[in-house]
Amino acid sequence: MTAPPTGVPVVYTIRGCDACVKLLEAWTAEGLVFEERRAELSQATLDEARSYGDIVPIIVWPDGRVEQGFRGHLGCYIT
Amino acid sequence: MTSPTSVSTRAATSVVTAERFDAAPSYADYLASLVINRDKFQHYAGTVQLSDDDVACFRQLAERSDGPARLLVIGEAWCPDVFRGVPVFAQIAEACGMAMKMVGRDDNPDIMNEFLLSGTARAIPVAVFYTRDHRYIAHWTERPAVANAVVARIKADFAAAHPDLNMKAPGPDGMKIITGFFDARLPEHYPAWQRETIREVRDLLTSAVGVASA
Repeated sequence: MTAPPTGVPVVYTIRGCDACVKLLEAWTAEGLVFEERRAELSQATLDEARSYGDIVPIIVWPDGRVEQGFRGHLGCYIT
Repeated sequence: MTSPTSVSTRAATSVVTAERFDAAPSYADYLASLVINRDKFQHYAGTVQLSDDDVACFRQLAERSDGPARLLVIGEAWCPDVFRGVPVFAQIAEACGMAMKMVGRDDNPDIMNEFLLSGTARAIPVAVFYTRDHRYIAHWTERPAVANAVVARIKADFAAAHPDLNMKAPGPDGMKIITGFFDARLPEHYPAWQRETIREVRDLLTSAVGVASA
């Protein structure tokens, strides 16, 4: 598992995932600094996302907490 | 599984023209182009169990002028229902000489919108069957009914076993518990889901074409 020690929240997303879109729109509107990692673009990123969870969006907070979904919206299964 | 729409209605309005079908990549080209999960498609191709009776049934259907000769599958390679289910369709197509083409859900929103599950959900895979002269026959969506029942039962079992664990914000330790619970219970069902997919598609096509199921 690759920990994302970036100091900002890392969110694993999939193109076309409605919950992912909601998260990206909300966080962008709120001015939150974060790193998006698109899980469908490489096997390494997809495997990294799977090490944290099975439903995107997956949020990995800088303190190590992991969340799946966004504000009650679950997205797409990846496992 | 969704009911087939009448040929005349869909043919008059479909964005899936014969030309667009022809221009779509074959399954072999699709596999070759994948940057993720190619190993999963290959693995689940190895677990498909088409019986001699299945093959005979699909061949019999495909030989009819109003039977399935062209198969369009809508999918995305990250989706488990796609990498587990699409190899089933590939082997059905291969067994009876159907032309199988693949299109991406998110690159083809107009096609996806034509086959939404319950009119709203962009569920994949969708397998759309056409005649040799590209008349719509029927389509099948996402996963067999038995799979939904199994997942619901395992979720209920998990909730009973871990009533205090918030599945939406489980934390790293909670995530391991969830993953371990489902990984220990789901995979044993995957071969049965593939067999049920074959059975549902047989029933769908025999019903749509109007022949008695073998």
